[in-house]
Amino acid sequence: MKKLLALLLSLCMMVSIVAVSAVADEKIELTLWHYFGVDYDYSDGSIFQKDIDNFNASQDRINISYEFVSREDLMRQYQMGAISGELPDIGMVDNPDMASYIQMGVFTDITDQLNAWGQLDQFFTGPLNSCTQDGRIYGLPHNSNCLALFYDKDALDAAGLSVPTTWTELRAAAKALTDPATGRYGFAISAVKNEEGTFQFIPWFLSSGGKLEELNGQGCVDALSFLNSLIEDGSMPRDIINWTQGDCNNQFISGGVAMQVNGPWNVSSVNEMAPDKNWGVALIPRADDGVNASVLGGENFGITTACENVDAAMEFLTYLMSKEVSADFCEVAGKFSPRKDASESKEIWVVDPIFSVFAENMNYAMPRGPHPRWPEISTAISTAEHEVFTGSKDVQTALDEAAATVSAILAQ
Amino acid sequence: MAKFFKRYRDRITGMFFVLPAVAYMLVMMVYPLLYNFLLSFRDLTVMNFKGNTSVFVGLSNYSTILQDPAFHQAFWQTLWFTAACIVVQFSLGIILAAFFNGKFALAGSVRGLLLVAWMMPVSVTGLLFKYMFLTEGGVINDLLKMVGLMGGAPLGWLINPSLAMWAVIITNCWIGIPFNMLLLSTGMSNISHDIYESAAIDGCTVLQRFFRITVPLLKTSILSVLMLGFIYTFKVFDLVFMMTKGGPLNATEVLSTYSYRQSFTLFNFSMGAASAVILFLCLMLVGVFYLRLIRKDEVM
Repeated sequence: MKKLLALLLSLCMMVSIVAVSAVADEKIELTLWHYFGVDYDYSDGSIFQKDIDNFNASQDRINISYEFVSREDLMRQYQMGAISGELPDIGMVDNPDMASYIQMGVFTDITDQLNAWGQLDQFFTGPLNSCTQDGRIYGLPHNSNCLALFYDKDALDAAGLSVPTTWTELRAAAKALTDPATGRYGFAISAVKNEEGTFQFIPWFLSSGGKLEELNGQGCVDALSFLNSLIEDGSMPRDIINWTQGDCNNQFISGGVAMQVNGPWNVSSVNEMAPDKNWGVALIPRADDGVNASVLGGENFGITTACENVDAAMEFLTYLMSKEVSADFCEVAGKFSPRKDASESKEIWVVDPIFSVFAENMNYAMPRGPHPRWPEISTAISTAEHEVFTGSKDVQTALDEAAATVSAILAQ
Repeated sequence: MAKFFKRYRDRITGMFFVLPAVAYMLVMMVYPLLYNFLLSFRDLTVMNFKGNTSVFVGLSNYSTILQDPAFHQAFWQTLWFTAACIVVQFSLGIILAAFFNGKFALAGSVRGLLLVAWMMPVSVTGLLFKYMFLTEGGVINDLLKMVGLMGGAPLGWLINPSLAMWAVIITNCWIGIPFNMLLLSTGMSNISHDIYESAAIDGCTVLQRFFRITVPLLKTSILSVLMLGFIYTFKVFDLVFMMTKGGPLNATEVLSTYSYRQSFTLFNFSMGAASAVILFLCLMLVGVFYLRLIRKDEVM
């Protein structure tokens, strides 16, 4: 009898344990992959993960677990996941790549849910377009950015120069600031052979009247010839063909270059790592008789086709892209909110001497694509850039070849 | 029936023993190979990835690839890379093996230490050498400057298209030499010392001993080292990917990085598959050749 009682008792306990864990299991678990840097407290990744922690703490039905995956690995995972179904529930994409992954079926169509949310009219058209295909929407833009000129004020003052606004002034200033004795170059952009290289090249040819559809037209030829002349002058290092934008920024921080083209996400690292540097930001110098131009960057978040609980994921996405969360994130991380009401709600974009310049530049920023075959277009552009900068082809030949590739893709 | 079982019992038991290995090979190797093979005859790209609407296009991927100058470049560069690596790592490997085969203090432990280079993950080696080969501040340029071999401008190891392949070859040899040394010295230690002793008594010089005794008796080891070296080097991927990603300007593009770029950067999945099949055929040719050589040797 005692034995039976003990058995019954232990059975009861087991049942209650199972019951408790069953209740706990009811919480919806979602995974999220991102490639924001998480190296220091003020890096965008740390701020982003805090947003997620806040969401998890704000309710007890949904738990989002996040994971950092490097950009390259993440893109490869999407392709393999599209076949195998092993995808996170929510994923981050660089905006020019989004169209390719929508085409491959990585992201779920959330047009109806977004319409029901009713805040889509607050989003800027350019960033939102990168989430759209054939009128259906597959995600939300999370942050936007553009490029501008970073310059070392002390170096310019020492040379008695003002901040360059045109190509002629830039060429002269870059030459004057180059100092072989200290190993300092006057100017640098990133020309690495991937999307970053293309991103950095676009403002130059837009300024001189070039078009993506006419890569071998006069505007593009002028732009590439101008950049190449900076290398031939010795005022821009040839190593830029291997420099990412991060490398470029490190050189600017360490004083290896006096001026660079870079984005607002690098502002905090310059302040952090070179607190004594006297520096400023200006519009990218324009072609002598050209227009001001920049390029639109930024990341989107989408719900993947592997997500079994789209409603819960939508709840998180609309939290992440609500006016307040978006405004706070972008203010601290040094980015632009893709929401009109969010950007208007913060003073930093109007009064800050650096971010107000980026805000002005956003008016000139052109989006890339969207085109499902953008990676091929981008490769053609960065290849032409490499051919010219390594001296293996002249500007016209390199751009003729790029134009042939790109127009064949655009014609389809 | 019983007679049949009795007669073939050993064979049937044997088959059960190889079954797990065969099943593993079927799932992990034969299936992907077949899938890749079939993929190379379709036109799967980013545009028709969803919904599986790609169609059979016969050999058109192959003809596109064979007309692509970038593929030609990658093919010849792969051969050049393989040949250069094998020559360097084999000749240095056999010299080191002969050296460490001598009976002197610490020979065994130093030989073991050399293997560290081979045991390190290739991605780590690639990353380390990438930093060592930096134009500004790279330790290799600093060393060259220190010993006075490099005057004037620093060498752009990884940014100069005509130098980048050498940087990758040097790195690959650093990994390959210990591997060659290990296999060759195992073969050498199987040669009886009596032969060397009697040769020495007969007045053989060191060089004569090496070319008349060591090399002929090492024939099997040498052949397998060369063949395995060819296969490992021809399919190089991680090292190139870590160091240069095939750049600058495709100067270090090899067949595997070409295939990767087609599939994972440009989303031309079928073109990537077709170039992988070509890579596979090249390796299979060498593999079949190797198997025939071994078989002949074993019969003798």
